[in-house]
Formats: sequence, structure tokens, C-alpha cells
Amino acid sequence: MNWRNELLAVWAVAVRNALMASRNVFFFFELLFWPIVGVVSIGLMTRFLELTPEQASFVLIGTIALSVVNVCQLEVAYAVLMDVWSKSLKHQFLAPIGIRHLTLGSWLVGIARGLAIFVLLAAFGWWAFGFAVLAPGLPAVAVFVFGCFLTAWIVGVAVCALITLFGNRAEAFAWASVNLVLVLAGLYYPVSVLPESLGAVAAAIPLTYFLDAYRAHFGFASEFRAPIATGLALGALYTALAHWAFFAAIRRARRTGLLLKMSE
Amino acid sequence: MLAIDARDVTKTFRSGWLRRRETHALRGVSLAVPRGAIWGLLGPNGAGKTTLLSILATLLTPDGGSVTVLGHDVLREAAALRHRLNMASGRPSFLWSLRVDEIIAFYGRLYGLHGAALRRRVDELVELCELVPFRRVQYSELSTGLKQRVALAKSLVNDPELLFLDEPTLGLDPDVSVRVRQHIARLRREQGITIVLTTHYMREAEELCDEIAFIKAGRIPARGTPGELKRQIRLGEVIALKLDPAAVEWLAEAPGVLRCAEAGGWVECTVDEAEKRLPELLRALHADGVVVKNVQVREPDLEEVFVELAK
Ligand SMILES: Nc1ncnc2c1ncn2[C@@H]1O[C@H](COP(=O)(O)OP(=O)(O)O)[C@@H](O)[C@H]1O
Ligand SMILES: [Mg+2]
Repeated sequence: MNWRNELLAVWAVAVRNALMASRNVFFFFELLFWPIVGVVSIGLMTRFLELTPEQASFVLIGTIALSVVNVCQLEVAYAVLMDVWSKSLKHQFLAPIGIRHLTLGSWLVGIARGLAIFVLLAAFGWWAFGFAVLAPGLPAVAVFVFGCFLTAWIVGVAVCALITLFGNRAEAFAWASVNLVLVLAGLYYPVSVLPESLGAVAAAIPLTYFLDAYRAHFGFASEFRAPIATGLALGALYTALAHWAFFAAIRRARRTGLLLKMSE
Repeated sequence: MLAIDARDVTKTFRSGWLRRRETHALRGVSLAVPRGAIWGLLGPNGAGKTTLLSILATLLTPDGGSVTVLGHDVLREAAALRHRLNMASGRPSFLWSLRVDEIIAFYGRLYGLHGAALRRRVDELVELCELVPFRRVQYSELSTGLKQRVALAKSLVNDPELLFLDEPTLGLDPDVSVRVRQHIARLRREQGITIVLTTHYMREAEELCDEIAFIKAGRIPARGTPGELKRQIRLGEVIALKLDPAAVEWLAEAPGVLRCAEAGGWVECTVDEAEKRLPELLRALHADGVVVKNVQVREPDLEEVFVELAK
């Protein structure tokens, strides 16, 4: 493996995604509008319900996590989706690059956008509602946002795999299934309120553990024994699985001709 | 030394979830392309041209047969092979919102170019493909002809040893097509690139290619140099006559005459061998009192060969 070429291919994908993001008319909405609308409505709701500041932080952390994950996963999925929409998918698979370059490069851009959103929403929440989202300090914040990015990476790569497996038709299905999974991660409630079977699903989602660990800093008893380690372990496992699925999907698309069909 | 050595390649597409449909796109195709050649794959729509090209370019895996390209097996050594080849299509598509130079640079990086070398390569290709005034224009705003030039520029970004061109002049104005063809010929002449192109225009194949394979319904029924093909198909040669009286009944039944047709005051007799039949015909016509006002002998067009084969 030639490290310079590895980095270069990752960089190529990152530059491309960043260029496209900068010209995307929906960029503004993805990056600013919806996340802020989310925080405003949740913030107002917590006032109406007269939640304690701790409870309000609990809910707000969930909202911010959702926004960060959403923006980042979308960017990762763009690694394939933009090319599917432009019908140019075959060119990048004609070039000597692997899927790791695609997923890493687009993840880097996703992380940059996710960080921007996180900082923005944290600042906005503090300014508008006095939420101290960053109170737990830098290391805790870093672990938390990393958990969000890791989840987003897995989800984005899984969407890429589904699209290269089933074609453009799978797009809506891919997003729906992904959001279903996220809702189960206990964004707005402790996982313990879920019925047992859904609780088991929630316990299989890495984001659940990162939320749990972060919320512990706001005085909520942790529901898991070693949330961060568990979240990281699960995250690593799913990252590997998602990449394997994507790899297998591309190999299959080369066999069935879907790779060509999506490019014409 | 062969650039491409493919034997008995088969490919069947399966589609449909409920009603399974099978398309036998390639039914046992073999070809050997020497290095430095311009090789043409000629055939009607749906013949399997794009399928074959895609298999050679590692975008599609064959079901059966063996394919070696530039000494690499396309299945086992695809990664190494991808560094050395590239492809452009006459129906190009790239990311809409990127500008011309950004597209070329993106693919350049994927092939390992960076820094000053990348910038130089982008400049060269923009120049070579006459895209200088358009280098900062978004892809979606380009005309078809310009898009095709972008595709050509992109396909040269890694200095490929082997270049696949899928219908490179599709839908272009005639004068633009001529320039593209000159360009292709120059690539081989000046850089020694082996080029495999598909087309359904005879003239294009005849003008450019050292060798042509006819592909039809997933098979290659005929191949050779343009001249060889005409002989191989045994279409014969055409003797065109201007006669007085204009029509002579017995001509079609004369020995060696395959068929006769009238066109614009000329009687066109297709014969097996013009050199042998022309004197015989002239003698017979003279004996019959028919005045021969004008005579032309010509080889059949590749177009006619194609029409014959596509039947
Ligand atoms: N990706 C694909 N999936 C399913 N069928 C395909 C695909 N590509 C081509 N075919 C079918 O295979 C046959 C050959 O197609 P193609 O190679 O594109 O022909 P050509 O390029 O000569 O026009 C056609 O019947 C076409 O419908
Ligand atoms: Mg075709």
C-alpha cells in the first residue's frame, strides 16, 4: 500500500464533496435552517412543559445529536448518491480506488459540516435558551461528537451499500430505515422507557451509548456499565460490517451490470 | 504483443423481480488486439458493444471465458489494470455542479497525480481538447460536443496505455466529428496508445481502424481489415454502366452477375470479380448492339457490408 496515493485518493473525494457542497442550493437548509428550527421548537417546547434545566438539556442534546448525525451521514451517502444522480458512478469505479477512499473522504467533509452544526447549535441554544450544552468540558464533548460522527459514518456507508445493491429505488427506503434506527437510540427519552424488545434494538445502536455517557454529565444516572467502551466497540464492529456490505454491493453491481445501468 | 486477448467471453444480464428476463448480451466473443492498434467494434444498437467494452475495462465481470488485458487478468488483477487504462463515452455524464478543470483534477487525483504535476496535466488536457475558454464553466452548462471533449480529456488524465472509446462521435455535428476522429488518430500516432472504439458509423470505422470486428447479437460473425472484410463477406464489386438503350433485360442473368439495380440513369451490376467480368460484359453488350456510354468500377461500401451482415 502506497500511503501517499491512499491519502491522495481520500483527499480527492474530500475536495470533490466539499466543492459540491459549496454549490448545493440545499446546503443552507441542510446546514442551518432545519437544525435551528429543530432547536427552537424543542427549546420552546421545554419551556411550555416547564422541564427542569437538566431535563431540557437531556432533550436538547438529543436534538443536536440528530442534526449532527443527519448532516454527516448525508455527506457520506453523497459519496455515491451525487454520482448516481449525475449518472457518473462508473467513472470512479473505473479508477484504481477502493471504497475506503470514498467513505473516508466524504466522512471528512461530513465531520467538518457536523462540527460546524454542533458549535452553531450549542451557541444558539445557549444564547436563546441558556442551555449549557458544552458544560461537561472538551474531552467529554469530543467523545460525544465522535460518537455522533461514527454513527453517521456507519449509517452513510450502509445507505451507499443499499443504493448500490438495489439501485436508485432504494433511496427512500434507505433513508427511512436509517431514521427509524436513530429514533430508537433514545434521542428524546431514556432507553429504559422503551418496551423490552425495542430496548434490545436500542442497546445495539452505538449512538445510544454516547448519548448515555454524555448525559451522565448532566446528572442522569448511566443506564449502562461502560457506555463509551461499548459504543466504540459496537461502532467499530458496524463500521467493518457496513464497509464489507458496501464492498460486496459494488462487487455484485459489477456482476449484474447495475453499475453500468446506474450510469446511463 | 497483445493488448487484449479475450476468449469465448459470455455475459448474460438478468433482470426483473417477478418475471425474470435474461438478455444474452455476449454469446462467446473472442478477440485479439495488438498493441498500438486502433481497433473498431462495429455493430447495431444492442449488439453488445458497450457490454464488451465494459468487461475489458473491468466495469463488468464476465460470466465465462478468459480475458487478459495488458497482461493482466481482468478478474484477478483488476486493480493493477485500472491504473493503465481509461474510457470515454459518447454519452458522457459527470457531476453537474463541478467545473471542467475540477472534473479533470478530481479524476487526476484518483490516479495519483497531485501538486504541480496535476496542475500541469489539467492545463495540457484543457489545451489538447480545446477547452480553454470553458475550463471554469460548470459541466451542466456545456453543450453535448463540449461534454464529449471533457470526457475525452478525463479519459487521458492517467496517460492510459489502452483507451476505450464508446461511440465517441455520437450525436456530434459532422465537422466536430471530423475533428474528434483526427484527434483519435493523433493519439495513436503521437503517443502510441492502443485504442478500441465502438461505433455504428461505417465511415468512422473505415477511416480510423486498422482492424474491425462486426458484432451482432453478442457474436462476432466477421472481422479483419476494412479491405479483408469486404472480400470475406463476398459482397462482390460493383460495375456501374450508362447504356443506350438504358435498360438491358439479360444483364441480371449474365454469368458472374449477382444482381442488378437501376439508380439515376446508371445500371449497377454487382459481380463476383470485376476484372474478369467487365470484358465479358462489354463484349456481350457490344454484340447485342448496346452502346456503352460510361463505365465505373468500385468496391462495395462498408456500409453495404454492414447492411448485409445486420440482416
Ligand atoms: N446493465 C445492463 N443490465 C441489463 N441489460 C443490459 C445492461 N447493459 C446492456 N444490457 C442489454 O444487453 C444487450 C447489449 O447491450 P449493449 O452492450 O449496451 O449494446 P450496444 O452497446 O451494442 O448498443 C442489450 O439487449 C441491452 O438491453
Ligand atoms: Mg452502447
